[in-house]
Amino acid sequence: MNGELIALGPVQLAVATGLVAIAGAISLLLRLSLEKRLAIAALRTVIQLGLVGLILERVFALRNPWLVVGLVLVMTVFAAREAVARASRGYRGIGADAWLAIAGSCLIVGSIVTQVVVGVEPWYHPQYVIPLIGMILGNSLTGIAISLDRFLEHLAVRSAEVELYIAYGATRREALTPPLRAAVRTGMIPIMNSMAAAGIVALPGMMTGQILAGSPPLQAVAYQIVVMFMIAAASSFGAMASAVIAGRRFVGADGTLRLDKLREKSAG
Amino acid sequence: MEPLLEAGPFSARDGEGRLLFSDAVVRLPTATAIVLDGPSGSGKSTLLRHVTGLTGDPASSGGGAAARTLKGETFQGESLPVWRTRVTLAAQDAPMLPGSVRHNLEFPYRFRCAGKRRFDVDRARPLMDEVGLEIPVDRDVSTLSGGERHRLAVVRGLLWDPAVLVADEPLSGLDADAAATCFELLLGFAHRPGHALLAVLHHRELGARADARIRLEDGRLEVV
Repeated sequence: MNGELIALGPVQLAVATGLVAIAGAISLLLRLSLEKRLAIAALRTVIQLGLVGLILERVFALRNPWLVVGLVLVMTVFAAREAVARASRGYRGIGADAWLAIAGSCLIVGSIVTQVVVGVEPWYHPQYVIPLIGMILGNSLTGIAISLDRFLEHLAVRSAEVELYIAYGATRREALTPPLRAAVRTGMIPIMNSMAAAGIVALPGMMTGQILAGSPPLQAVAYQIVVMFMIAAASSFGAMASAVIAGRRFVGADGTLRLDKLREKSAG
Repeated sequence: MEPLLEAGPFSARDGEGRLLFSDAVVRLPTATAIVLDGPSGSGKSTLLRHVTGLTGDPASSGGGAAARTLKGETFQGESLPVWRTRVTLAAQDAPMLPGSVRHNLEFPYRFRCAGKRRFDVDRARPLMDEVGLEIPVDRDVSTLSGGERHRLAVVRGLLWDPAVLVADEPLSGLDADAAATCFELLLGFAHRPGHALLAVLHHRELGARADARIRLEDGRLEVV
């Protein structure tokens, strides 16, 4: 069933670069002035993925558990940075909080998937662990970014409602429930959409990749289902954890709302 | 005689770091209605937020920790939510939750600290009618006028029946008749033993009917 893998070389990649040039041409034609950003983004893709490829080749070859753990840690740090980079509001310590949410999501969802569901042998087998953790990170990141943004927006824009709760005796948990619910609900929309549309609107990226790489479609489907559910768990866990952690900073144990800690960032 | 409520000393600064008041202590005797006045920007709302514990006591600002005592019982830290169920702020501009009139009257009864209080729509109805809010309780609050919202906030405070109701301009946006009716109800609430009202009012004639006035000016709190 396994077809041969068609290897891609520099020539094929150069042709693919032409595809980005189409996007650039459209930008020029419509005067979107996105060419420069597009070029930089494309360049980043090539450099980042190239580096990752080189690192992965080494890590796969060495099969050292500490190297895998170290790489995963580095990945969580970058994911946390990305999660808060584009938020319109922030607070002191938001990066550390995002990292905590991401690391928690990685630890819980990651160990269930790699150790129980897939049953990776040995436990750190990089070929499985790194891509799966990468998927978890990418999706926790999205969940956290959306959820934190929504949570802080709720606190800022609807502070009168939060304080109305507090004024009538809400505990910290009670006062934080409405913003938390709004945040997690919003944070879960992307994964809900992609679960509902999976296979109908588009073949999910990972499944496409696996099929292109020669896996039997049903195996690719099985992996994709695992990945979808894993992503759902990771993004909802990330969304909830980040909002709960942030909430503890903004509402004290005495139930006072501390909006002075909130920082508005200029949009960009 | 021991006051019903004693809270303070409070000190606060405004956003620019200017001192609003320092070492302000609020004492309310039982069964009294007290009006807090003072020039605008003097920190009246801030003081009400301190009394009700909506603004915490920043440990960093130094000075003695503020105490909040009601009927001889002191509240601090994690018992502040309970304090707020008994010393309740009806905040400026009559804030409302999105949803129905009923939801806006009912929400606090579901809180853990609400204790044995139960929401009773049969008590809400006559009170709403009395202040001229002859609207169904399933009406969405977003359809209410500013004056109606303020009346609803007064009804909410009275129904909740805390020991001390702290009201920040509860009568704003009301015509003279409605303001007088609402204030009458607030006085009736305050004059029961074990209760008191502390209010900022912009109606001078009505304010004159309170039992006492305290004035916040140039950072000092004085009984007048």
